[in-house]
Amino acid sequence: MLRYIAYRSLLAVFLVWIVVTLVFLMLHLVPGDPAELLLSQGSTAADPQAVANLRERLGLDDPLWLQYAHHIGGLLTGDLGTSFRDGASVTGQIVQRLPRTLEVIVAAALIAAALGVPAGTLAAVRSGGWIDTLISFLSSVALSTPVFVVGSVVILVFAQELRLVPAGGYVPFAVDPARHLLLLMLPAGTVALALWAVIARMTRASVLDVLERDYVRTARAKGLSRVKILRRHVVRNAMIPVLTVLGLEMGTLIGGTVLVEFVFNWPGLSGYLVSAVDARDYPEVVGIVMVISILFVFLNLVVDIVSAVLDPRISLTR
Amino acid sequence: MRKLILPVSIIAVILALVLLAPILPLADVRAMDIPHRFAGPSLQHWLGQDEFGRDVLTRLIFGARASLSIAIGSALAAALIGATLGLLGGYFRGLVELVTVRAAEVVLCLPPLLLALLVVTILGAGFWPLILALTLLYTPNYARVVYAATLQVRGLDYVTAQRALGTHPLTIVLRTLLPNVLPPLVVQISLVIASAIVIESGLSFLGLGVVPPTPSWGLMIRSARGAMEQAPMLLVWPSLALAGTILTFNLLCDRLQSVLDPRTVPVGGAIWLRRRGATSPRPSSREARVPRAAGPAGAGAVTDRAATDRSGETKPADLLAIEGLTVALDRPGGVGSGMELVRGVSLALRPGETLALVGESGSGKTLTSLAVTGLLPDVLAVTAGTAAYVRRDGTALDLLAEDEDGHRRLRGDEISMVFQDASAALNPVHRIGDQLAEGILAHRAIGRAEAANEAVALLKRVGIPDPERRARAYPHELSGGQRQRAMIAIAVANRPKLLLADEPTTALDPTIQAQILALIADLKRDNPDMGVVFVTHNLAVVAEIADRVAVMYAGELVEEGPVAEVFARPRHPYTAALIGSVPEGGAERLVAIPGTVPAPGQMPPGCRFAPRCDHAEAICRESEPAEFVPAPGRRTRCLRYEEVT
Amino acid sequence: MTMRLNRRSFLATSAAAGALAFVGPKGLRAETGGMLRFGLSAYPPSFDAWASSGSAAGTVKLMMHRGLLGFAPDGTMRGELAESFEVDDAGTWTFKLRDARWHDGSPVTSEDIAWNVAEAAKADSTAFFRGELQSVVKVDTPDARTIRMTTEEPSAVLPGWFAHFNMPMIKKGEAPDTTMGAGPFKLDKTDRGVSLSLSAFDGYYKEGLPKLAGIEVIVYADENLRVAALDAGDVDLIEYVPWQAMEQIEADARLKLDAVDGPFMYLTFNAERPPFDDPRVRRAVAHAIKREDIVAAAFYGRGSALEHLPLAEGSDYYNADLANGWAYDPDKAMALLAEAGHPNGFDCTLLATAQYGMHQSTAEVCQAYLSMVGINARLDLPEWATRVQKGNQGQYDLAVMGTTASNNDPDGMTQLIDGSLPASFVRSYGLKTPEITELLAKGRQTFKAAERKTIYHQMEAKALETTPIAGLAWRSQGFAMKAGVSGFTNMPGQLCFYSPETLEETVLG
Repeated sequence: MLRYIAYRSLLAVFLVWIVVTLVFLMLHLVPGDPAELLLSQGSTAADPQAVANLRERLGLDDPLWLQYAHHIGGLLTGDLGTSFRDGASVTGQIVQRLPRTLEVIVAAALIAAALGVPAGTLAAVRSGGWIDTLISFLSSVALSTPVFVVGSVVILVFAQELRLVPAGGYVPFAVDPARHLLLLMLPAGTVALALWAVIARMTRASVLDVLERDYVRTARAKGLSRVKILRRHVVRNAMIPVLTVLGLEMGTLIGGTVLVEFVFNWPGLSGYLVSAVDARDYPEVVGIVMVISILFVFLNLVVDIVSAVLDPRISLTR
Repeated sequence: MRKLILPVSIIAVILALVLLAPILPLADVRAMDIPHRFAGPSLQHWLGQDEFGRDVLTRLIFGARASLSIAIGSALAAALIGATLGLLGGYFRGLVELVTVRAAEVVLCLPPLLLALLVVTILGAGFWPLILALTLLYTPNYARVVYAATLQVRGLDYVTAQRALGTHPLTIVLRTLLPNVLPPLVVQISLVIASAIVIESGLSFLGLGVVPPTPSWGLMIRSARGAMEQAPMLLVWPSLALAGTILTFNLLCDRLQSVLDPRTVPVGGAIWLRRRGATSPRPSSREARVPRAAGPAGAGAVTDRAATDRSGETKPADLLAIEGLTVALDRPGGVGSGMELVRGVSLALRPGETLALVGESGSGKTLTSLAVTGLLPDVLAVTAGTAAYVRRDGTALDLLAEDEDGHRRLRGDEISMVFQDASAALNPVHRIGDQLAEGILAHRAIGRAEAANEAVALLKRVGIPDPERRARAYPHELSGGQRQRAMIAIAVANRPKLLLADEPTTALDPTIQAQILALIADLKRDNPDMGVVFVTHNLAVVAEIADRVAVMYAGELVEEGPVAEVFARPRHPYTAALIGSVPEGGAERLVAIPGTVPAPGQMPPGCRFAPRCDHAEAICRESEPAEFVPAPGRRTRCLRYEEVT
Repeated sequence: MTMRLNRRSFLATSAAAGALAFVGPKGLRAETGGMLRFGLSAYPPSFDAWASSGSAAGTVKLMMHRGLLGFAPDGTMRGELAESFEVDDAGTWTFKLRDARWHDGSPVTSEDIAWNVAEAAKADSTAFFRGELQSVVKVDTPDARTIRMTTEEPSAVLPGWFAHFNMPMIKKGEAPDTTMGAGPFKLDKTDRGVSLSLSAFDGYYKEGLPKLAGIEVIVYADENLRVAALDAGDVDLIEYVPWQAMEQIEADARLKLDAVDGPFMYLTFNAERPPFDDPRVRRAVAHAIKREDIVAAAFYGRGSALEHLPLAEGSDYYNADLANGWAYDPDKAMALLAEAGHPNGFDCTLLATAQYGMHQSTAEVCQAYLSMVGINARLDLPEWATRVQKGNQGQYDLAVMGTTASNNDPDGMTQLIDGSLPASFVRSYGLKTPEITELLAKGRQTFKAAERKTIYHQMEAKALETTPIAGLAWRSQGFAMKAGVSGFTNMPGQLCFYSPETLEETVLG
């Protein structure tokens, strides 16, 4: 187990290094000059000398390999650098924003699992019936409605018409816990909508598969109650692939909640990443991507470990 | 295949609309009519006009072109690349895995939107960069899914066997692995197409998608969102198109999956899970059924046992008396519904007796035992017959009339089953001891700890060494023989009155087989009143363990009697052929009977064995033989039983 | 208040009215107060006082800082830190400081001001007015309240620099991105990318101002959400009201809209290569587009056609005779194309951005109209950063742009049409305009209003002929607020982004 984790961690470091390098190179390949952008805000013509001054100050005139070496050197010492835009510490910004994004993802995953697993199980148990059709229909609709449409409708109905919730935004938990949770529900609920559908579909397929297994027949032959069979022998076993998918989906969501954050004005990591890319703020982009990829790799490891715990047949060895 | 008609025809209509769009009598997709922007539906513009006064219907249809070709194109491209990577990585492992699956995971580490942003920014927005970005995005998903599925399949025996035979690895990958990983792949495709359409709209929303004025659903949704107050319907149309298309693709993939993967249950799902009322519409009152019991046996085929007038009560001497059991395919409206797989089987078992049920695969012997315990697969149903059973408390009941709840009270308690493949029949994720204890707890009001202790004792009883430790083991940590012992321990945990063992030794090697048979015999000594129905195709086993033997052929019981007598003088040509086919020294398989068992639904008229029978005469092929009693305690379904031996 | 009028101090004259405006009764703050919640469209990318970092940063700078000069709600220039300003015959500008204090309580001195001018003009400065300030050859501080600036050439437009929100004054020795200024509000707290909290500066130099106790700035990047937040009562005032929402806000009794036609959309050309190196082709484009449809489609009717240079109708320099110089006339456009050797039109790329809907919609309408005269324009819609770079490097044929000028003075046009300036995405690429350059320079050095008017008339006539840019549309720039908010004024024309200056007088009802 420990050896496995060590092996995977080594692989992770390698993976993250490749990702960081890739992003660094791609960023320099992408058109757009951070200094020029910063100084031509508001569609004004930037003074070429001022741009040159800023480029020099930001170290953008150094050869690419030197910039790369600087950057990697910084990353190795745990220094993610400072923003090109206002000199803010990238580490500080990530520390501030990452928990907000994780909060949305975790809340969404919980909601999605709480709704998706029973729905998927029900659809499988009643496969072919009207309830299965209904769940299949609802999940398709949920999967096919873009979050920005859901978001706009939610805001229109709940904030503008019914005035039940604020029109998006963020309040720290320490300041106002109730309002914080209320505001959290908007993006989390919207993310959960699509995630719910994925989980429900996955659960349905998985439960249908497990229902056909011999051990379920054994459980029936033992005279166990329906609930017990469902819980211990069907859902328990069916959850292994579902959890894997949920883990992967959560991984994708780190840095993938851009639209939701935009629509609900939730100041998370994804929105930060997009604004950094828009401004070609290289240290910010590389720093955020590095953190996201580390988290992603870590989450994968956790998924693997959890699967191994759930399914003793999987052994964590290489 | 019929199930595919609906989704395929809808998709065909969509594709036809998309392909024929240029020649359909539609408005110009780019023609602006700004004075009439946001105009509602009219004769010229069925769905109204958008923010530039362009025709919404036209743009919807042309928009499908961009949205669908991007989504389907990238989903398929990613499936192809991803499946290749996953198959190669999963089959070869090692370095290949590193450069395929692990390399693909690099992409997963990048936030999807950033990836799309970078690709589109470098290459410029448009159709091909979008396909490239989405393909990149989805390839690792496929790679992982296929990789996982490949890992599962590659460990299976038949793959190992092929490898041992020196089959070219690529042949194994393509011929054996690919078909097996297809079902998860198909599910993935359905999810990816849906999500690709949505992502395309998301990218268009961010301005990274298709370049206007080329319409796409994503672009339409984007521009409609701004004008939600002015013209809400502009948002509704593309959203509906999007949802409808995705729904259709999901439907197609669900149906494809069930066609590709025959294991999948057809319509209905797990009927046993449903509460009473939702169960099979079979009449549960015995009176209602008894007259029909004689039906399937055919006119004139008055069974010997039926003649002894047992309609109503059971002879106290019989523990189980099956009368006229008929099992048929039950798929209302489905292909072959009503086809009978077991017909008119009658059997009796006294307490303490061991009855062997013998026959080739497909003879219906396993179905007979499953019917008694109510464990028939959902697609099958008992359509006639009774199974009188005397409970521990002396009350009689008809097992075939019980519903799931009735069966559940008996199963594992009075009536137990041992299944053929213990490695599949044990739940891989629960410890052996827990799986044993839960069977005990389901029927007895004792504490958990007590049940756990009893489980250990049972494991010890069935001859598992170091039972305390084994109780904490998972099934995969046990040997095949130990698993079957554990399976038997589960079956006898509550000292059942009736034990149904379905080929419990088939999957085991001969030494272990003998041990298991000895164990069953041993357990019978512990519990002398226990009746055992032993389903097997191995006559050597029958001779060793059974008191009586019942031979089944093509769903019918053809001969029954005491083992010694039947073996000494079979009264049915099939039995004789069976015995004859066993080589000296007792080999495993039944061989050398010419011809094959007829498929259900293609049963010959008259005697079902007639086509393969040396003794058959014209009369055998014309009418179904009735049951005859060649000697007391024996039955045969052969007109010419006297000539057999 | 002293005001020494000089024969050439025409600019100062107009400032006088505004300068008097803020002299009001004391002690108003006590009875009003309240925290105003301001829905901003973006978080300031930086607080660098002198750099051009966009209108969001400008808004925040106008809360924290004040420059030597500013604008009154009616758009007239007035003194801020300077109580008076004048120019002598030699073109030397003299500013008299009032008794103002920095947020730390220390007085604003002429030495501070001189330091600001010197720092912003430094070789390594990133200031917006770095180039202009380098033409200030001498800065004298005869006393703590007087500052005198001498430029290379006499400059009539110098006060415009010091009234600009990108040239606020900060305390000597502070870093350029300091939040220590002399403005009406102090920055207390920031949550980067999310919100800013400001409180009233009690030492503000205008008695009784600011009336608000503070401002809570909340960033709403999504325009629809910004409107929703106002509608739901989460904020009191929002900027950049999306055009599609204006009607709904006007119809809502709880809300009010203050919108002016200020910013404008126009086309730039790549004159480095054919076909747009030919002025006839550029003029053909200018005549080919029906502006009303851009206003309707991209701005929901909130704006007006712009068929000449972006000089507003209310401006002193508006030339009624030239106002329809680029009127929609497809026949003329086709004739010009034929004359230029393109009777069957040609293919080209039209650069805009997909990041901003108005740019994209404008481009779509232009594309549709250009196709009618035979110009087949392929849209190139990268995200903004790429679009800026492509514009700067001339990787386009035609491009849609939108901006405002620095202020309502016609010299503000220089940035857009002076071909002698270095390449920039805001103007046409590689387009030399010697006559226009010369006229603009002449205008800057001319102090007499009548003379200037003639010069700019000539300039506009020349521009209509050579078409260095093609005006498309004025677009409405709106602030929306709760009905109870008063004292906030959207300044006219090009000054709309200066409007947050009136936050000092804003009252929450």
